[in-house]
Amino acid sequence: MGVFVCLPLVLPLTALPIARLAEQHLHPRSATRLLAVVGVLLALCSTLCLGLLMVVGTAQLPGNPLPDSWSDPQVRAAVPYEEKAGIVAIGALAAVLGACGWTVYRHVRLRIGAGRALAAAPSVVSGDIAVLPDPEPYAYALPGRPGRVVVSTAMTECLDARERRALIAHERAHLAARHHRCLLAVQLAARANPFLLPLRTAVSFSTERWADEEAACAVGDRRVVAVAVGKAALYSHRAPDVSVGFAAFAAPAGPVPRRVAALLAPVPPVRLWPPSSAHVALAALIAAVGTAASALSSLNAAVTLVGILHAATPL
Amino acid sequence: MDSARPGHHPDNEPLRDGVPAAERLSAAEQLSGLDAVAAGSTGSPGAAHPGSGRLRRRGQGELEAQVLAVLRSADGPATAGWVQKHLEGDLAYTTVITILSRLYAKKAVTRSREGRSYTWTSASDEAGLAALRMRRVLDGERDRDAVLARFISALSPGDEERLRALLARADAPDDPDNPRDTEGL
Repeated sequence: MGVFVCLPLVLPLTALPIARLAEQHLHPRSATRLLAVVGVLLALCSTLCLGLLMVVGTAQLPGNPLPDSWSDPQVRAAVPYEEKAGIVAIGALAAVLGACGWTVYRHVRLRIGAGRALAAAPSVVSGDIAVLPDPEPYAYALPGRPGRVVVSTAMTECLDARERRALIAHERAHLAARHHRCLLAVQLAARANPFLLPLRTAVSFSTERWADEEAACAVGDRRVVAVAVGKAALYSHRAPDVSVGFAAFAAPAGPVPRRVAALLAPVPPVRLWPPSSAHVALAALIAAVGTAASALSSLNAAVTLVGILHAATPL
Repeated sequence: MDSARPGHHPDNEPLRDGVPAAERLSAAEQLSGLDAVAAGSTGSPGAAHPGSGRLRRRGQGELEAQVLAVLRSADGPATAGWVQKHLEGDLAYTTVITILSRLYAKKAVTRSREGRSYTWTSASDEAGLAALRMRRVLDGERDRDAVLARFISALSPGDEERLRALLARADAPDDPDNPRDTEGL
């Protein structure tokens, strides 16, 4: 135990270099999967670590739900408890669980609300596409059974026929690859450990890039997809009342121009090995070592603690 | 529903035909106030306003779509009583007024004063209503990018310039059919 049990709390920092480099050097599909897996693993370890700290900490508190034998002197001697760390961990764990619960609740609420809005008007849905008469331009993939592509008329009006096909193909790619699961997973991961926030941004960007690439394959022209993304973004930007909802996501670097630039550039290589540059290899190595260390550290601590608990509790 | 609002008319029939318009209006006014309460609090308004609690359980959207469909089937402006008569199921007059007021607040219907009561006209179809509801769902979510994979996200002022430059570059090599890409945006 000791200080090593706290390592998983800071080890998510090791994933930041790869989160930064994956965008330029990896195919968006690989980037999404790699970052999502790394993010979820690191978040799980970090949460487990918080849980262990809490268990050790609460052993000191009167009225804790643990068995009485936890306050035996022998057990106390075996567990290097830090009372303050334990109490802080209680608060942190409660915050993590609360934030994750809230995130899931909002996810479900938005999906149900949007699904109901469509269900009340069966006439707007044809196939998997729902076109809503709305002066605000928007288009998104609404996951569910079946998933739907929701487009406003304002959005379709600003694009020509081929660009519209590109837009639909983009949203269908989101649905087919179930990107909402990745997005939710990294969002929960970022709630569990704020150090993972850059990872979440990177994943949401690479899912968009991934869908762009799929759309380019479906339409057969990368330029059309690039123009569709660019036109839609400029058109929405000009619309008066969109800025409010978008403000939260405004990144200084600007995801939309990066997507358009990537689409105007050649197709990214799909291969993962050998890595395209030494930087990427190093970043991937750092992330892999960090994740492994995080997993080992938290598993080791968990096993130790369970061992002690098992020994101390006559169950 | 009738017994849920004591003091109001216990029976639908006389209300539709015989009740003076002034009383119908007051019902409408009271209910639009009640509507505001129902819309404002998501808690349990059941105790204070049984009517609104009941409505919520029955699925607002469904009723709104039904009322709108009936209103659209009318030749011209229709009274709330007419809507009630043509609705399927046994909805109270006050419920119909509530739904109409809600639709009015969403700009899905228009109303005009005829004598001492209102006549209602549909201003939007089923699709329009779905769009309104969808917009409300989206606007209720501040960080909707986190939930929905959207086609486009925000642009910073610098982005706009960069994007125009990129699009101009995309158009430069060959510009077959869409000359308004750069200036028309």
